[in-house]
Amino acid sequence: MTVRTARRGRYALAAIAATGIAVVVVAFALPGRSPGHGFPALHPAAAPTRWPHAALPNGTAVLSYPPSLRPLAGDTDAVSVARLGPGGVFQLYLNATRRQGSERLQGWAAFRLRLLRSDDATSARQDAAAEGVQFRGGTGSCVIDDYITRIGGHHYEEVACLVQGRTSASVIVGAAAAARWVRARPLLFRAVAAYLVR
Amino acid sequence: MTRSLTLVTALSRGPRMLLALPAAALAVTLAACGSSAGPSAHPAAPKPAGVAHSHAHSAPTHAASSEPTKQAGAAHRHAHSAPPPAAATPAPPAPPVPTVNPIPQGNGGDQDADNNGGPSDGDGNI
Repeated sequence: MTVRTARRGRYALAAIAATGIAVVVVAFALPGRSPGHGFPALHPAAAPTRWPHAALPNGTAVLSYPPSLRPLAGDTDAVSVARLGPGGVFQLYLNATRRQGSERLQGWAAFRLRLLRSDDATSARQDAAAEGVQFRGGTGSCVIDDYITRIGGHHYEEVACLVQGRTSASVIVGAAAAARWVRARPLLFRAVAAYLVR
Repeated sequence: MTRSLTLVTALSRGPRMLLALPAAALAVTLAACGSSAGPSAHPAAPKPAGVAHSHAHSAPTHAASSEPTKQAGAAHRHAHSAPPPAAATPAPPAPPVPTVNPIPQGNGGDQDADNNGGPSDGDGNI
């Protein structure tokens, strides 16, 4: 009787262990349940002290950027910086623009993709998105996407966030040639995480 | 002999029931995962990085890099957001549709980089 009880106990333990293993294996073996919707964690933090800053002309946001990037001419209500390679190739690009139109936090990713397709790009594809992202001084919605430009057929990947501060909203974009995205992303995300809104 | 019989009896009763537990858990997990892995907004196929390199770089100032193919799906490896709640909720209103291409390409409009094949800025297409 004692032997039987002990044996049953071992079987029960084995069954519980097998159940746990099965659940873990299935959870990790299956592909992502909603591919394209994941977004890396963004931890808002001040930029390194050596990074320059560029405030929006209306003073509602401050873009911090790596020293290797240089200001670009652009819209009067925006700031743009970039690092260009040989031949003027865009290696890194950052832009901040005050909210201009009907951008909203809800559905921002879809809005951004439609805007790209209707303006600059022949095609645009969402890679990841998130809403309720914390920024310095506000909350935002973000999308990571890649697109092919109408002019030149260049393939870029970007992170674009609409950020709502206490008094106003603005958009920050960090982009790089898609082929360089994996290397460029950490620096671009650091700039996005340092974006300050008021 | 009695002990052998006891062992046979234990093996023939207990394990069958107990081994059914992992199978049941597996089935439940598969069902749960399968139901939310249905229609996706974005296929898991690798990115068409080669497309970029097949284009003629007519604007060298903004030419894309000729580096090796991007490690497709890097963004997909991150944690995914939680699945939507099971309870039926009214669909949120569709986001507004951006104005259709008011800024001409080819150095049009404000002559921004994004009107010349550069990265798109964050303007609202106004």
